[in-house]
Amino acid sequence: MLEVRDIHRSFGGVKAVDGVSLDVDAGRIVGLIGTNGAGKTTLFNVISGYLGADAGSVRFEGAAILGEKPHRVARRGMVRTFQTPVGFPRMTVLENMLVFLREHDTTIAPALFRRSVAGSISQAEAARAEEILRAFGLAAKRDIWVQDLGAPELKMLEFARTVMSDPKMLLLDEPAAGVNLALLDSLVETIFRLRDSGVTFLIVDHNLGFICRICDFIYAMADGRVISQGGPDEVVNNPAVIECYIGSASGSR
Amino acid sequence: MESILLFVVGILSIGAIYSILCLALNLEAGIDGLWDLGIVSFFGIGAYTYVLLTAPAAENHQHYLLGLGLPIWVGLAAAGLMGGVAALLIGVPSLRLKREYFLITTLAFAEVIRQIYANELWLTNGVAGIYGLNPPFSESLPPNARQVVIFALLSVAVAVTYLIVRSLCVSPFGRALKALRENEALAMTAGINPFAHHIRAFALAGALSGVAGAFYVWYNTLIIPGQFVADVTFFVWTALIIGGIGNNTGALVGGILFVLLHDALRFLPLSNDMAEVVSSVRTALVGVILILVLRWRPEGLLCERPARVRVRQG
Repeated sequence: MLEVRDIHRSFGGVKAVDGVSLDVDAGRIVGLIGTNGAGKTTLFNVISGYLGADAGSVRFEGAAILGEKPHRVARRGMVRTFQTPVGFPRMTVLENMLVFLREHDTTIAPALFRRSVAGSISQAEAARAEEILRAFGLAAKRDIWVQDLGAPELKMLEFARTVMSDPKMLLLDEPAAGVNLALLDSLVETIFRLRDSGVTFLIVDHNLGFICRICDFIYAMADGRVISQGGPDEVVNNPAVIECYIGSASGSR
Repeated sequence: MESILLFVVGILSIGAIYSILCLALNLEAGIDGLWDLGIVSFFGIGAYTYVLLTAPAAENHQHYLLGLGLPIWVGLAAAGLMGGVAALLIGVPSLRLKREYFLITTLAFAEVIRQIYANELWLTNGVAGIYGLNPPFSESLPPNARQVVIFALLSVAVAVTYLIVRSLCVSPFGRALKALRENEALAMTAGINPFAHHIRAFALAGALSGVAGAFYVWYNTLIIPGQFVADVTFFVWTALIIGGIGNNTGALVGGILFVLLHDALRFLPLSNDMAEVVSSVRTALVGVILILVLRWRPEGLLCERPARVRVRQG
């Protein structure tokens, strides 16, 4: 579904991503691990269109998407998240959901000339938003501003929004960061449920336990390169990965 | 009694013009997050467009382009159109910039445009301006009745502007603008094209300001470059901040309130010396009120509130 080939991206003299290739097959949950500065987020930004690349190619469902603007990539059904899930603070929870309704025409003409339709949502749309919000425990907060939500609710709302956008593929940037254990369980459950409904995942995270628990396949990055790839056990036990995470086995006492 | 009535009508007419400008600014800066410090550009372009199309041909002692003597309604529509087109032309290069850079660029464009009014004699008769413009209905109505009719038309214009801006706000277009204002990076993941939405909001605000410019000519019956200095932009921003940025009713109220504060003293019968003092005082008065509002009601008198989304039946 997603093919990344030989991506290079430098900032000044620093090679943040230095020839990375990876594949994500439809219906899989693929993890991307690595220490701070390994180039994970840069790679994410390149794939989702937020950053250009110096060389390489990215294909999504067979189409070359490198160089496309982020909103175009999103329109293809590849939706990303950000490390801090602030949402749209001064919009209500329901509005946050409605922004992600793909079918809505955001041009001016209907707003002016079909006011009764453009100024409201259909019962089906309301029911859909309601159902998703209920699934994420946010139904009661529907009409309050997102800036008044707590951190766990923001996290849940982030998932609720992405579900609303009906994605084919989700790129999650550190979904487990700052998440307590109870919330982590419901997060895992949500990811599995979405996978079962046909969503493909590429997930960046530091939390090895979390990644190993949910991913079918893992890529490990260090210094802008892929240093190991394979099933969770294989990657976690790879000496190069251990060296990156814990320090050199021979170098330290 | 009648003079008091006319005084009130005069103040409210200017207030209505400011309300239209505040609503336009609220669309681009309150709903969308564009820090436009050049709203006077489109106000001025609308005003000059109206004059050049509706005024009679220039006489010997004056120079200005066109002077076609077209009907006022044509002038009004053209003022809106040109305001929008000018905003498009200015928006295409400057909307690539963010926040403070955009702000400075729009401020600079406004000054460039004012220099054009002031220096291009063949186009606008320069700093001397164009005088003796017949207000609408000047043949059919006596002056006093005419002022009331103009005020009535302005009230309708405010109502229509309010309706337009409000309809946009509650539509998916308005939600997209708010999403861009709040978090542009995240809005893009919803498939929202930032430039396409910003330029539309900017052009619409320009068109509405252009129409306000044409009304301003009705009120003044003359046009000079000095009417379109950066002060107007700052006045409109002040009015919107006092009224409540992000709230359309706040914008409407803010415009009228600002003019009441700023211009109410203008009509006092004063000696020349006193008039000079009072005219400084009124600007200071507005400044003090702005500081008080920012101190105790930083979101304005009518602040932005969580939106209620309507669900349609059937």
